[in-house]
Amino acid sequence: MHRGVGLAAFDREQVSQRFAELSSELSKTQVDHLQSQLTQFQTALSHFAQTHRDSIRSDPTFRHAFQQMCASIGVDPLAGPRKGGWWAEMLGLGDWQYELGVQIVDVCVSTRERNGGVIEIGELVHMVSRLRNVESGVITEEDVIRSIRTLQPLGAGYEVLDVGGGKKMVRSVVKELDADQAVVLAEAQLVGGRIVEEILENRRGWTRDRARAALENMLLRDGLCWLDSQDEHYGKAYWVPSAMHWDE
Amino acid sequence: MALSTHTTPSGFLLPSIHSAPPFFTEQPNPNTQAHLTEQWIRLILTYARHRRLFILRVEDAEVPGGDWDEILRNERINRRVPPSYISSLMAGMIAKNVAVYEPPKQTRAVMLYWRLPEEWADVLHSWATATGQLNTILTFYEISDPPIPSPLSDIPIPLLRRAITILMRSNRAQIIGVADGEGVRFFAATK
Repeated sequence: MHRGVGLAAFDREQVSQRFAELSSELSKTQVDHLQSQLTQFQTALSHFAQTHRDSIRSDPTFRHAFQQMCASIGVDPLAGPRKGGWWAEMLGLGDWQYELGVQIVDVCVSTRERNGGVIEIGELVHMVSRLRNVESGVITEEDVIRSIRTLQPLGAGYEVLDVGGGKKMVRSVVKELDADQAVVLAEAQLVGGRIVEEILENRRGWTRDRARAALENMLLRDGLCWLDSQDEHYGKAYWVPSAMHWDE
Repeated sequence: MALSTHTTPSGFLLPSIHSAPPFFTEQPNPNTQAHLTEQWIRLILTYARHRRLFILRVEDAEVPGGDWDEILRNERINRRVPPSYISSLMAGMIAKNVAVYEPPKQTRAVMLYWRLPEEWADVLHSWATATGQLNTILTFYEISDPPIPSPLSDIPIPLLRRAITILMRSNRAQIIGVADGEGVRFFAATK
């Protein structure tokens, strides 16, 4: 016996259709809700950007706090869907950072003959500040380090070196500094630039040969230090220009 | 120890690099030395202009008491430029055409071009024009030792001769033999 489709079956079909409608309605509401939240976020963000743009660009403490906030919520202020990122676009921070990068390159290149391509970060900050004609403290070490990071894709070899004792140096030549050279740079930092073999022997327990080899390499091969053959105590001393305190 | 600028008794502002001890040693690294040679040449020429010095001798680095002590020596850090270093700096200046050995055929003294001979030619012609001495005959000594101090006071005769030679090429001067040597007559610039 054949039975046609009964009422119950009709109901079932209708019910499932209802459910489908309801579900799509629900997800539509959710999407709408999300969209409105996003719009709200964007409005808030652009409001924030408009209100604080100047502070972010000019106040290092504020900029630091802002960048920390970005980091804690996982937003890279320089990255985003569009070129330069939309934080960057709204804040003009990308330009600021890139501009700083260009000035860092400027300082590194123009002092390279003098210091062999290694500059103490404090001096770099000082010279960049002077180039921008801003008071000291407006640009921080952290800003410089971040800008150097943005230079990395250029492959120019700019790198921040930690030479120990909280001292940082920026290397602007594609040249590996070996561990001994880093030690020499660090020791030179402590004494205002003048370094002799004895200092490395006494303070680091190096042999005379090791000290001489490191210093002679820096002098002759890398141009990272200058010779003084009129030294009162040793007759011959090495001076690391990037560790000397230039008052100019 | 901070490296700072310093004003000398003659009123010259020494750059901070002048208080860096290694500045007084010739560097074995050629790139480093090229940079320091440039610094030295600039220092020597600006000092020469400041003091109106025309001649630099190796002797100036050998014995104290000369015109160049303020830059060739730094008593504050007990450093001085060794004579051998001044010789190579002289060679460096000659290579850059900012000095010539004077007299020629020796390497112990140079005449400095803190103004190039072309610039001296213009200075000379402007001075002759401004003081109304065109078309009259002047001896070389009337120019280098004028009764009223001029921009040309103390100019060495060989440098003066070079400047006049340049003016002769554009018909703005003529060398004339006079009783006690040589003289020059300047003309207004022609087209």
